[in-house]
Amino acid sequence: MAVPASGTARPSSTILQAAYGGILRYPLLVALAAVIVLFSLASPVFLTAANLQSILVNNVTLLVIVTIAMTFAVAVGGIDLSVGTAIDFASFAFVSLVLAGQPVGVAALAGLASGALVGAFNAVLISLIGISPFLATLGTLFIGRSLQQILTNGGNPVYLPPAGVPEAFRFLGRGTLAGIPVPLVIAGALILVATLVFARTRFGRVAIAIGIQPDVVRYSGVASRAHVAVTFILVGLIAAVAGLILTATVTVYIPSSGNAFLLNAIGATFIGTTLSPLGRPNIPGTVLGVLLLGIVANGLLLTGLNFYWQQVGTGTLIFAVLALSFARRRHAKA
Amino acid sequence: MSVELDLTPLSPLGQEATPAGPALGGQIAALALRAGSLIAFAVIVAVFAITAPYFLSVGNIGNVVGQSAIPGVLAVGLTIVLIAGGSNVVTGGIDLSLAANMGLSAAVYATLAQAGYGDGTAVAAALLTGGIIGAVNAFAVVVAGIVPLLATLAVMNVVAGIELVLTQNTVIPATTPLLSALSSSGPLGIPVLGLVLVVFTLIVGAIVQFTPTGLRLYAVGEFPEAGRAAGLPVRRLTAGAFVASGLCGGFAGILSVSNLSGSTTGSGEMLLPVVVTALLGAVFSRRLVPTIGGTLLSTLFVGILVNGFQLLNISSTLVNGVQGILILLVVSATTLLRKKEA
Amino acid sequence: MTLPAHRPGAALSFSAIVKHFDGAQALAGASLTVPRGTVHGLVGQNGAGKSTLIKLLAGLHQADDGQIEIDGVEHRTLTPHLVETLGIHFIHQDRLLVPTFTVGEALFLGREPRIAGTPFLDRRLMQRRAADILDDYFGIRIPNSALIRDLSTAERQIVQITRALLDQPKVLVFDEPTAALVRREADILFRLIRRLRDEGVTILYVSHYLNEIEALCDAVTVLRNGRDVATLPLAQTSASEIAGLMIARDIGEMFPKRDVVPGHDILKVHGLQLSGKYHDVSFSLRRGEVLGLTGLLGSGAKDVLRTLFGLDQADGGTIEIDGQPARRLDPVRAAQRELALVPEDRRRNGVALDMTVGENLTLSSLKQFTRFGFLETARERGEADRLIARLEIKTAGRDALVRTLSGGNQQKVAIAKWLSRHSQIYLLDEPTVGVDIGSKVEIYRLIGDLAERGAGVIVLSSDLTELVGITDRILVLFRGRVIRAFASAETTPEAVLAASTGSSEVLRHVG
Repeated sequence: MAVPASGTARPSSTILQAAYGGILRYPLLVALAAVIVLFSLASPVFLTAANLQSILVNNVTLLVIVTIAMTFAVAVGGIDLSVGTAIDFASFAFVSLVLAGQPVGVAALAGLASGALVGAFNAVLISLIGISPFLATLGTLFIGRSLQQILTNGGNPVYLPPAGVPEAFRFLGRGTLAGIPVPLVIAGALILVATLVFARTRFGRVAIAIGIQPDVVRYSGVASRAHVAVTFILVGLIAAVAGLILTATVTVYIPSSGNAFLLNAIGATFIGTTLSPLGRPNIPGTVLGVLLLGIVANGLLLTGLNFYWQQVGTGTLIFAVLALSFARRRHAKA
Repeated sequence: MSVELDLTPLSPLGQEATPAGPALGGQIAALALRAGSLIAFAVIVAVFAITAPYFLSVGNIGNVVGQSAIPGVLAVGLTIVLIAGGSNVVTGGIDLSLAANMGLSAAVYATLAQAGYGDGTAVAAALLTGGIIGAVNAFAVVVAGIVPLLATLAVMNVVAGIELVLTQNTVIPATTPLLSALSSSGPLGIPVLGLVLVVFTLIVGAIVQFTPTGLRLYAVGEFPEAGRAAGLPVRRLTAGAFVASGLCGGFAGILSVSNLSGSTTGSGEMLLPVVVTALLGAVFSRRLVPTIGGTLLSTLFVGILVNGFQLLNISSTLVNGVQGILILLVVSATTLLRKKEA
Repeated sequence: MTLPAHRPGAALSFSAIVKHFDGAQALAGASLTVPRGTVHGLVGQNGAGKSTLIKLLAGLHQADDGQIEIDGVEHRTLTPHLVETLGIHFIHQDRLLVPTFTVGEALFLGREPRIAGTPFLDRRLMQRRAADILDDYFGIRIPNSALIRDLSTAERQIVQITRALLDQPKVLVFDEPTAALVRREADILFRLIRRLRDEGVTILYVSHYLNEIEALCDAVTVLRNGRDVATLPLAQTSASEIAGLMIARDIGEMFPKRDVVPGHDILKVHGLQLSGKYHDVSFSLRRGEVLGLTGLLGSGAKDVLRTLFGLDQADGGTIEIDGQPARRLDPVRAAQRELALVPEDRRRNGVALDMTVGENLTLSSLKQFTRFGFLETARERGEADRLIARLEIKTAGRDALVRTLSGGNQQKVAIAKWLSRHSQIYLLDEPTVGVDIGSKVEIYRLIGDLAERGAGVIVLSSDLTELVGITDRILVLFRGRVIRAFASAETTPEAVLAASTGSSEVLRHVG
């Protein structure tokens, strides 16, 4: 084994360098692996099938759907603060129509349409009037809150009486397909479709291009404003799916409850975006971001730490991950 | 054929027509926007005054100002960040951690008060808490280079979590001489909190609108290159704005303890209303930029709406809707205005 | 003409400066000496190296080789801060003023006066001093309450010059200061410059307007291809001689010969008008023809190109594409009508720097590689590879980011993305700015190639040698109107330059 003399001193440092480079390149996977190792050492329960399923069902399913919606908004260089509004409107329409005796399918379609309507309102503000997405969706969020107050006589929840829950409704929230919970199946399908949209469709490609350099898209003779409009409608529609599942699971509509997802969805989207090799919004990154948040929340609980440390943990994690990724960008530029 | 040599360069069109044409139109439109919002303000006050006679009483006006104190202090803090960060909310100035900051500072204050520490220690600790949160934001934005929207979002999560850990999600009651003084009524039955808001905005307003430092904050936010060209310490000014905003959060925390006789959870609810209030404030300034005075007016405007709705027995949650519609109207108007000018 | 007495010696001295950008040589041993207390002109065509030289002086870039001396002291590395402390100030084309500030605030930002004994701004003093200074130097009045964003371009420029004057500069560098000024304002500026010179300030004056140079400067240095070709006292030269020096004669062989018989009209513009930009612009473009368009900054030439691609809407006149009227064009419809635009600001509008070469190449033709909304990635990749090979784009591959390419290769990408869309009318805005010489020739060849395949090409360029070399006809815009049309084979760059600067005197000498 002839090792060049000059090389003998190096291996440890090159391994360190490679490790450092790896962390910089795939920080999300590294972070996820580290967190999983940490928690499986800390708690014997963590790596059990039951717990992993619990993570997926309780911490991931709904958030991943909302975050996919957010990823589309971020892909075109925007943000959507009104995803919760779309969730609420879908939920309200769904519950109200089921309560009124409409077939579950009709009610679900109406729910999806309500979410898309919220998106369409944003689309008009953003693409037609030219308001920045942050402000436009902030306005929508506020108007949506008040509308829900009006619709519910001051914020009363709309319950579905236990006796009156149709089978299809129950199936959507609690049913299983081949042993897998239906919400998880839907989330999985959405992940696949959204991944395909970004990787393999013209729509996804143009959306990404708009997010990177909108002027070039316009100067290339591509209808960028129409693309942005469709994207925001799509965001409302996807968020509405989360609204339907949420309602079917808890069999109640509580006004303005959709907002609970907002900040985690933004956080997970940007974790996935800033930590991807090209720094673009992307579905795998989004999914990993949601998993990371979900695992940390679950793991902190399992390790016996006080429930309230969850938020500190996830917040610190998001902060650290963002700081790391911005440091990586500087590293890449230098 | 002799040709006169024309030695002067010519304008693109050689037209000496008033270049102020479009700009003047813009000025008029801006004026209309500002006058319109002031008139709307006045009309709403008038409507309330007529339909609810109690509305214009000194006691009620005092109540409005007193109830506006906490959101007002937060909105002022946010305004400083908006000024120094520029008008683009996503890449520029925003501090999403303000409301959580208030919650944690209040919890720190209440915890110390309950543990028997004096007002001096508790006040210092609450302000220190706010200042540290501001410093973390400043570090994340200026040193780590994270966009403010994300940086302050992450900090917000951490801060809200620490508050939960500290309070175990319970109310921590607190009574101290300072708190009693703050929650009492002053001359003419005006709540002390209202007076505090007025004095606070006067002081911050004096600094931001009337000192070189304030002017430089505007320069850094609107056009960092111009700031750099003028030799300003751009990064230090931006960092300072976040720290100032953090201190406002700490101050609002103290006020909220006095208002609620303790620290309570759910401060996060205040975040987006405060953001909207601060953004709306820009219509009350001649230049359509965020100002401390404009933010005070905007805060009072929202306070009056809530109060008037209560007096008229309309659900005060509808104020949200009015705010939403207002912000969309204002932003549409300014956006269309800018398009015209461009 | 009596020159004012000035201290002997050079305020600025550049010798044998060399500077490369992305492999392209911007300066190839340029020298320039500016004596103290004089007004020195610097002229050259676009790409001659003027702006590079100014940026080196400003400390924005560092020279690869050569010496820069300021007041007789050599400086190896210049920083913007150092340059300012040495008393050198720049009046840029992009004006660094905060739009929502008043004139007083903009003037005193960073050195604000305070009310004595207080920490507060003395707004009144700022306003009064601002008004006094503007009145004293320029004889103009701007209302105290007016904001920078409400001022005319010229007024903003005056405010910026005034800001520089407050620092009592030793050297003032004017970079195309009059491009946006109306005649009265330019007169004021000239008077001011002469007065400053008499007060001992050294002035370096960069301009395209030869008549300004002739009227204002004590001496002028002509740059060409990154070198200084002559420095002449104005007393011994003329605008026509300067024009002759600006234009290179040794690169005629760069331009490929084409042998195309132009076909029928593919684009007809009649009476096109956009108020404030251009008036009554009429011309036609035939298949197989390369039409040149030129004019100084603000002549309206660029705006005509923008209108054709639907980025701006004309107020009047008609555009006909292939015999069919084109109304209310926007970029989407323009592209559908087979128009292609290669914008001047390549890095902002032409290519997406953080997307890959492949993604850029198919951005405008993506529909062709789409079936039921899905990308046919194999075909798309094939097309990208084909374009990379055909245009000889030097890149690590189609998956490399465009950011990693040289300026010339980025430009090839910006042009190539239209080829798979089979565009028929190409609008090229300054296609060779910031492009190395090798890529330039390839771009010329590509333009000829497009014409031979029956496309119509409009090239807007201020490099007149290039324009005369590669076009069939040239239209010159001046003050928003087409004032001359040339047949390229029968004209010279000098004649075109004369027409575009509005200098009839030059025209008589050369033409």
